Amino acid sequence: MLRLLHTADWHLGRRFPSFPEEGQKKLSRARMDVVATILDVARRNAVNAVVCVGDIFDDPEPAQDFWDGLARTFQGHAGEHPPLFLIPGNHDPLTQESVWAPGHAFRSRLPAWVHIVDRDDFSYEIAPNAILYARPCRSKAGENDLAMALPAREPGDERLRIGCVHGCTFDIDGYQTNFPIRRDAGVQRGLDYLAIGDTHSFRDVTDDLAVPTVYPGAPEPTSFDEAGAGRVALVALFRRGLRPRVDAEPVAFWRWIDVRCRDMHELRAVLTTPGLDRHVVRLHLDMTVTLSEESEVERILRDLRGTDATHGRVGVLVEDLANLRLQLGSGDEFPDDLPPVLKDTVARLRVITGALDESEKSRATRALAHLYKLLQSHDATGGRDL
Amino acid sequence: MRLRRLSINSFAVIRSIDIEFGPGLNVLYGPNDLGKSTVVAAIRLGLLLPHTSTHCDQYVGWTGSGDPTVEMTFETEAQRIWRIRKQFGKGGSSLLQESKNGRDFDDLERGRKVDGKLREILRWGIPEPGGTGGAKGLPASFLATALLSPQDDVSAVLHSSLQDDPTGSGQERIAAALQAVAQDPLFVALLRETQARRDAAYTDRGAKSTARGSVFKIAADRLVETRAEKEKLEKIVSESEGAERQLRELTGRRALKQEALAGATDLVANLERLASQATCRSAAAEEVRIAGEDVLRIKKIRTEVATTEHEVVELAGKINVSEQILSVARKGQVEADTALAAAEESARAGGSDPGLTDTVVRQQLELRKSAAEQSEREALQRIDAALTAQKLREAVTAAERELREQQARADSAIESASKAIAAAKKTDDELQRCDLLERALDTQAAEKRAQDAQAAVDRETALRARLEATSGERGVLAAQRSAITVPLPGALVPMRKLATDVAAARAGLNVGLVVTVTPKALLDVQVQKDGQKAELTSTAQPLDVEANAEVEISIAEIATVRVRGGRREAQETAKGLETRWSREVEPHLIAAGVGDFEGLDAKIAEAQELDSGIKAKDAELETLRSQVNALAGTMEALREASDRAAVCRGLLGDVELGTLAADLKALGADPTTGLRKLRHRLSKEAEEARRIAGEATNERTLTDERTRQSRKATDAAIVARDAALTVFPEGVDSALVAARVALAAGVAEKESAAAELASLEHAVNERKKRIDAALSGARTNATQAATAVETALGQLTIAKTNHASANGRLIELRRQRDAEDLAAAEARVQEATARHGALLVPDRIVTDDELNAARNAAVSLKSDLDGIEGNIQRAQGALQQVGGAVARERLRDAIEAFELAERQEKEIEAEYEAWRLLLDQMKAADAAQASNLGQALAPAIAGRFQELTQRRYQTVQLTAQLATEGIIVSGGLRPTSLISVGTREQLSTLYRLSLAEYLGTTIVLDDQLVQSDVNRMEWFRALLTEKARSFQIVVFTCRPGDYLAATSMVTDGSGFHADTDSGFVRAIDLERALRPRK
Repeated sequence: MLRLLHTADWHLGRRFPSFPEEGQKKLSRARMDVVATILDVARRNAVNAVVCVGDIFDDPEPAQDFWDGLARTFQGHAGEHPPLFLIPGNHDPLTQESVWAPGHAFRSRLPAWVHIVDRDDFSYEIAPNAILYARPCRSKAGENDLAMALPAREPGDERLRIGCVHGCTFDIDGYQTNFPIRRDAGVQRGLDYLAIGDTHSFRDVTDDLAVPTVYPGAPEPTSFDEAGAGRVALVALFRRGLRPRVDAEPVAFWRWIDVRCRDMHELRAVLTTPGLDRHVVRLHLDMTVTLSEESEVERILRDLRGTDATHGRVGVLVEDLANLRLQLGSGDEFPDDLPPVLKDTVARLRVITGALDESEKSRATRALAHLYKLLQSHDATGGRDL
Repeated sequence: MRLRRLSINSFAVIRSIDIEFGPGLNVLYGPNDLGKSTVVAAIRLGLLLPHTSTHCDQYVGWTGSGDPTVEMTFETEAQRIWRIRKQFGKGGSSLLQESKNGRDFDDLERGRKVDGKLREILRWGIPEPGGTGGAKGLPASFLATALLSPQDDVSAVLHSSLQDDPTGSGQERIAAALQAVAQDPLFVALLRETQARRDAAYTDRGAKSTARGSVFKIAADRLVETRAEKEKLEKIVSESEGAERQLRELTGRRALKQEALAGATDLVANLERLASQATCRSAAAEEVRIAGEDVLRIKKIRTEVATTEHEVVELAGKINVSEQILSVARKGQVEADTALAAAEESARAGGSDPGLTDTVVRQQLELRKSAAEQSEREALQRIDAALTAQKLREAVTAAERELREQQARADSAIESASKAIAAAKKTDDELQRCDLLERALDTQAAEKRAQDAQAAVDRETALRARLEATSGERGVLAAQRSAITVPLPGALVPMRKLATDVAAARAGLNVGLVVTVTPKALLDVQVQKDGQKAELTSTAQPLDVEANAEVEISIAEIATVRVRGGRREAQETAKGLETRWSREVEPHLIAAGVGDFEGLDAKIAEAQELDSGIKAKDAELETLRSQVNALAGTMEALREASDRAAVCRGLLGDVELGTLAADLKALGADPTTGLRKLRHRLSKEAEEARRIAGEATNERTLTDERTRQSRKATDAAIVARDAALTVFPEGVDSALVAARVALAAGVAEKESAAAELASLEHAVNERKKRIDAALSGARTNATQAATAVETALGQLTIAKTNHASANGRLIELRRQRDAEDLAAAEARVQEATARHGALLVPDRIVTDDELNAARNAAVSLKSDLDGIEGNIQRAQGALQQVGGAVARERLRDAIEAFELAERQEKEIEAEYEAWRLLLDQMKAADAAQASNLGQALAPAIAGRFQELTQRRYQTVQLTAQLATEGIIVSGGLRPTSLISVGTREQLSTLYRLSLAEYLGTTIVLDDQLVQSDVNRMEWFRALLTEKARSFQIVVFTCRPGDYLAATSMVTDGSGFHADTDSGFVRAIDLERALRPRK
């Protein structure tokens, strides 16, 4: 039996511009961290080979930090190691200037067990009765079916044949130029397993065919709509003609979730959710709060996201406060013993909150909230450190 | 501000003076008429008067030696030291210098600009010099009066106020000083924090800060950055999609061209095959012909051999005959003639009939051959016609199929175009609907604005009504309050203490008395006990009068006896206390209209309640005024909004807004955005539909053209087919079979006839030769025999020569015959005939022109295809560079980042707008609290004034603008003009000192307290000495003892100034310091 670890879409160097700055870094770094996890899984399962089918980097010319980091990660796995094959994808195609070019410093840093698929007729005998065929993407878009370009099975060839190409099996608008792959390409080329990459969710696109054609998905999710991401495929090939077994093995550190809170009770409950430090949470607050509740909301959010001094409870927090509405109470939020000038200030702002102009009303409400929080902060610090 | 040095030259009576001031109390003393007030005037002019002013004329030296010059050094804060030098008169000049250490000065301003800068530094409410309406003489302001009040009007400050200041700088300075003192610490802390938040986002002028590090700058930079990234990727995606579209179009065109090329190549191959078949058949026929000719040639040689052999035999015979003829000739000519006649007869008999027969046979054979050839040609033509008919029939079928396909495509294109046009029209209608909805939204917005504006107008009206009502209520409260005169709450404690002391003192006198009057006679005795009403009694009896503390007994006209309890000291104490009671307490009780403290407390409570009410009303009024002010221009806004709404309604036409409600609701919570998205979507759909319609129209045009051509080709094919089929009533296939049979028969018949004809020709030739030879010999013999026997030998020789020649020719012919193989030649003929027969007969004859045209068409299509391939490769290359899916994924991220940046910018704007609003309202509230400068300043003055006057006066009443309304005495307001001159100047001095203390600035007192008694002067001296540690006080006096202790005076021979009290008191002897003019 031949064991294979199939992964793809590491997207090292990917940026997350719509996240908070600290979160961006965490998410970028997570892509590098998961590589070590994948290599450990490979060793644990005693696989005969590891294939990473495209989009290893997010760009064909990544910043040095990323290719240097990847080389270090590989170097950190000393000793016997199954061969690992890196196949350029449409995000990181094989070009003369790319990180895959023979003259690139990255290549010289790689251990001997790491193989770059840098030619169209690449093949490698991973076992006496098993051979791997792979073909790289050479551009960011293309209409040619790389799977169908793999050599067909010759009569009398009884070896296990594994194909590796990056591309898209969806024959719909916008995907024809993304290296389309026929769903039956594995059958057509006489393969036993076709390892593909591109889609970030785990998916076997050929479960009705004898030759599995599998997207392992990104080992770390890149967005909230990648439900099946965060895994690699462990493939067991038994013998020619018997459909291989494909298992999804979780490797991701981060879990991406959407949380919607409609009242303070639900928001407080978030604080008690276990393991939030390994979650990327998009928190939607869809509720109306008073000044004091808004202050509590602010405290909870600070607790969740962290401060300059403390870690947040959530690994990465994205706040959606578009539907957080502030409602003024009857006026008992402010203490009775306020100095007259502050009472006057509150009274003036309350008058404005009665204005017809919604923007003025909103501005005055926010101003009252500011004042309320200033007073609370003053009370909390004993008036020493506002 | 603090004065450091003053130099005066040629100024009125002063020739020169140069003084250095101490930091605290400076007492400049000298006798009358020395020039003290001139020095004060010089300070005033130096600080306030432009050197060009004619006001200084009065200070030009009385003796005319030099222009008046004033040079003054002063400090406004640490390391901000200024030196002003002014020379008045015709050659006047001004110079303002600045220094940090008091030694090294840099010029700052000269000439006319000096006074502008100076006034900016002082902030005394005096505007820059110049300009229309400006004061011509010495400028005046409340602070100039307060700090530099002239000797001739020491109480000027009491009838001055900020109201008359030309600019607000003085008021702002005082307000700032008082505000800073009066602000609540919590408020100050919150204000500072709010100000910091506001300053992080806005400039001093209120604009959004674009400085590096400002929140708006960061947000704007982020927005610009993300927008640029988004637009860059949008462009890339657009290019990518364009390349994909182009690729799709080119791929379609390539397929069509490939199909056309395949057809053209097939046609060329077919034509070439036909041409090749024809060529092969021609070559085979030529081979048959050549082989046949060889056979004929060989047979001819053989015939010639036989003939020649025969000829040789004959010639040999002729030789014999000639010899015989010679011998015979010699015997007789008759035999020769007979032989000739016989030969000629034989020739005629053998040559006429057979010749005629041969000709007939030949003609018959020629006719057979010709008929056979005709049959063959006809059969071939028939075959060609049949094949052509077959082709035409197939061509018609193909053309009809092509026509049907083209028609189907045309129908499909028409349907697509119709659908797309309908879709485009639908989306256009929807877009028009969007225009209508946009106008409806505009109308809604305009009507909302109009409603808002109307609401604002209503609100303004309501607020003005409230303002008027509140103002009225405030007036009522103020009237009620003005009717109540009560002491300050703080004054009640000493009053109560006095009451207690009075009661205690009275208790000390309340010892109980019994006075016995023993008349000697009847007496009229009037007894008054303990201050009660006197009682008159006439008695001659002893009269005991019992009282608590005092008894006064008037006995007729004789005497009045007053008996008081307690010791004298106690009585004096009680008297003193009662005096104080009547002076300090009773006026308040009277003023308040109450008899005791309980009543007074009630009055005070009532007054406080009224004060609170007035204050609340003031605050309410201020709020209402600010709200009314904020609503200024609402009528104009209402008019504009109404006009706008009318315009918008007009734009809507006959459409009722209500009919659009459902559509507008469907646009969501933010209809403008919803409409924009809808319009965007519809525009894309319309564009897509138009694109599809355009493509379908193009396709339809193409298919129409193709259909026309197909129909034309079909019609032509049908005509050709029908024409071709008319000659085959029995059917093309049967005709073709028959024609091929006829062709074979014709060929066989032609070959048979040709063979027979050849054989006949051979036989005829042989016979003719033989007859000719016989006849010729006979004639020769006959001629020879007839002419001369003598020539017989010659004839014999000729015969032999001929025989030899014929024999030689026979040898050659035999050699030729032996060299040829007739059987092989005949076999070759058979082989060639077989090959020729085995070759396919081409379906039709292909011309070179036809073949060349087909080849050219194929080459042209190949060239087109190569061009398309090149374009496809270029499009693929472009796509590979930009990356379709990769670019789209990045664009998705960029759009998310851009939208986040947009949201963040809006959030930041809202956040900091709120901070700004909070700051504005805090300041407004603070200003409202502190705007009444009088309320803020009065307690400080009042406290000292009460202390000075030993609480004879309760307080000073100042207006918001610091005008002095009067002093409160016994609860009543008394104008300062009604109090004594001395008290007035003391009050004025206290007022000025308080102001100077708050401002931390120098005050000049020019013989301010000349009407004060010793005690009060002593009080003032202590006060000035104490305050000298806080700010600088410059006193000009002719009575130094009023301000200085004896030990502080300048002693003889020690210069003209002396410092005491750690340097905080400086005495300056002006008699020594000042050099008067002579």
